[in-house]
Amino acid sequence: MTAISQRRSGAFVRRNGSQFIVIGLLVLLAITGFIVSDRFATVANIMNILEQSVTLALVSLGQTLTILTGGIDLSVGSMISLASVLLSGITNGDANMVAPAIAIVLALGIFVGLLNAAAVVWLRVHPLIVTLGMGAVLQGITLLYTMGPAGKMPLGFDWLAFGRVLGLPVGAVIAVALFLLTAAFLRYARLGRYIYAIGDDAIGAKLMGLPRTKVLLFVYAFSGFMASLTAIFLVSRFGVGQPYTGANFTLTSITPVVVGGTLLAGGRGGVLGTLLGVYLVSLLNNVLNFMDISSHYQLIVQGLIVIIAVSVYVEKKRTL
Amino acid sequence: MLTISNLSKSFPGVKALSGMQLDVRAGEIHALVGENGAGKSTLTKIIAGVYQPDEGQIEYDGEITHWPSPGAAKAAGVHVIYQEFVLFPHMTVAENIFIGNERRGLLGMVDHGQTRKDAAELLHRLGVEIDPDKRVVELSVADQQMVEIAKAMVHKVRLLILDEPTAVISGHEVELLFQRLQALRADGVAIIYISHRLEEIFEICDRVTVLKDGQFVASRAIADVTRDQLVALMVGRDMSELFPPKATAASGAVVLQAKGVSAAGRVRNASLTLRAGEVTALAGMVGAGRTELALAIFGGLPMTAGSVEIGGKSHSQMSPALSIREGIGLLTEDRKGQGLAMLLDVAANITAADLQTVSRNGFLDRARENEIAREEIASYQIACRGPQNPVVTMSGGNQQKVLVSRWARTCRRVLILDEPTRGVDVGAKAEIYRIMRELAAKGIAVLMISSELPEVVGMADRVVVMREGTISGELTGADITEEQIVRLATQSLAA
Repeated sequence: MTAISQRRSGAFVRRNGSQFIVIGLLVLLAITGFIVSDRFATVANIMNILEQSVTLALVSLGQTLTILTGGIDLSVGSMISLASVLLSGITNGDANMVAPAIAIVLALGIFVGLLNAAAVVWLRVHPLIVTLGMGAVLQGITLLYTMGPAGKMPLGFDWLAFGRVLGLPVGAVIAVALFLLTAAFLRYARLGRYIYAIGDDAIGAKLMGLPRTKVLLFVYAFSGFMASLTAIFLVSRFGVGQPYTGANFTLTSITPVVVGGTLLAGGRGGVLGTLLGVYLVSLLNNVLNFMDISSHYQLIVQGLIVIIAVSVYVEKKRTL
Repeated sequence: MLTISNLSKSFPGVKALSGMQLDVRAGEIHALVGENGAGKSTLTKIIAGVYQPDEGQIEYDGEITHWPSPGAAKAAGVHVIYQEFVLFPHMTVAENIFIGNERRGLLGMVDHGQTRKDAAELLHRLGVEIDPDKRVVELSVADQQMVEIAKAMVHKVRLLILDEPTAVISGHEVELLFQRLQALRADGVAIIYISHRLEEIFEICDRVTVLKDGQFVASRAIADVTRDQLVALMVGRDMSELFPPKATAASGAVVLQAKGVSAAGRVRNASLTLRAGEVTALAGMVGAGRTELALAIFGGLPMTAGSVEIGGKSHSQMSPALSIREGIGLLTEDRKGQGLAMLLDVAANITAADLQTVSRNGFLDRARENEIAREEIASYQIACRGPQNPVVTMSGGNQQKVLVSRWARTCRRVLILDEPTRGVDVGAKAEIYRIMRELAAKGIAVLMISSELPEVVGMADRVVVMREGTISGELTGADITEEQIVRLATQSLAA
């Protein structure tokens, strides 16, 4: 093999290595699942995994875009909590109120995202702090609104969580469709290019006259929108919104993104890696369930996964 | 094409430009020269729309204009190639070339096929072989520069500004760059060429404008000015005074010996001997492994083979801490990234490698630190407001002096300087040369890595030349000529 082709294949593995690792881990987990339980490889269980993965998929899709710009959105957890109590609170069992309530929480998600971006752009505060602060604000508003489960959803609203289209869970189909659309957007839209450019070299993007403000307004609004969409599916699943229902999502929305090979520094990665990451996390939780390991341990495992994934993929800087 | 008159710009506490004028015609290469801090980059950024002038006017194409943003200047055909390229390292060459100007097809979607095809055609027209699908991070610096030029051509460039374009390339690559620039000039593009290297300006430029301390000094046709006159306009100092006399005494004792060192896949079986009182230059092309060899000796890169002998002991692995204990100092090529704490003040930077002498019972003695800093500022003639001046606000030459003074305090045996005068103005260069020579006279072995041949010839008592990771030869005394160094740096191994 010549030096040049070696370098090429090296670059190929570097570029796509993360996806291979994740696919390898998925296979490994599936084999483990086979061994620990004969109920693992059943249609019912696979549908179950797909259903459970929906909310994680939606919220981490939004998170991927903020991370690609070199930012992060730590307000998604509280946004989900607020949107979920507002959705079931406003609807309060009235089927006629479902559509307006959905419109309101989606609009609110976009609005909160725009506020986040505005603070990043015009107040020049790091996204980490802006969205962490926004998360606290939203959680406070949520608790002012209600201290416990609020309102209820009309019959049939659980179709989103448990219904089927073409024999597949509704939410999973919607989530995968949104991932594919976003992947196409990142590849074929100019704004998609600029998301990568700004994450790759923010100062360079400024010198090139790329529209940073527009890009950041878009990605944080998108993240807020996806958080509200996540809340809609959560409420559909539980039948009611609860003030702490989104609490864990802030961390878990980041897990699939970094596992899927998107660099926290921005500029590299993509949503399809995130989708693989989503299924990895969901499969892991499923297998742990079969092994009778409590959800407390699942939280510990997820926390460790984030740290390990980031350390594996981080660009090793030349250090003295 | 571009006429600037009476332009002024201030930043908090600094008058960067005042009453500046500049007149650039279509189809000429116009040099912009001046010492660091003369206002070249401020002027560039105003023309590029990054900064807004406080006063004055810009006439472009016969119309008075002002560009509120980099995008506006770009739209008018102004393109700047900054010293630090504006490339997105993880995007492909084609994507970089068309960023902000995407090739679009159906429904306004980015057309990747067309982008690739157009990029390939542009690169072909430039006469360079670069794979448009490669990521920029995988390209050599010279190729990255070609990508920058290709980018300029996409934007239908009419005024091209290059800031120190040859700081990062050498030899043949410079020739290639000059050919491209001449072709652009023939197409009627106006080119502003900023460089510290006067020989280049005489080779390629038509006219020159000299700046000093933020003010216009003179504009001349290159044919009407000599090199010495140009330097006099810039600093009022003669070039021949730049280098202090070389060491006259016979070579001193061997201080450090590197034997068969390999490192980082970039250095193979390299041996090197440093003697007290000598200035040794490590010459060679960019990428020949000079920096890596120096880092391996200092302990910044792991050695995969070989050893370093210092202080009577042989080490198969060095570390920065060991090096500092043994009295080795290293000035890295990248001042800002690896040397200076930019936001800290002069005093803190000078004492950074030697905190023992300025601390008592584990606490810093700021008074003592300031006292030392004041001495160093005086002895190296560092231009600053005092020990508390943050280094970020100082010029490149003065920052470099801060670094030199830091290491001169701690290094007892060896001082390694990697491109010590890069991006430094003529006045500060002479200072740095003088300091190097003084340190050598005190018995320190000085190792200087340099890509500038006049500097190597003017300073070195001994020249070690590297080529593709190995030592290709050593020169001393009268053998030290530019021709000999180039021959050793470029000859093929078989020859």
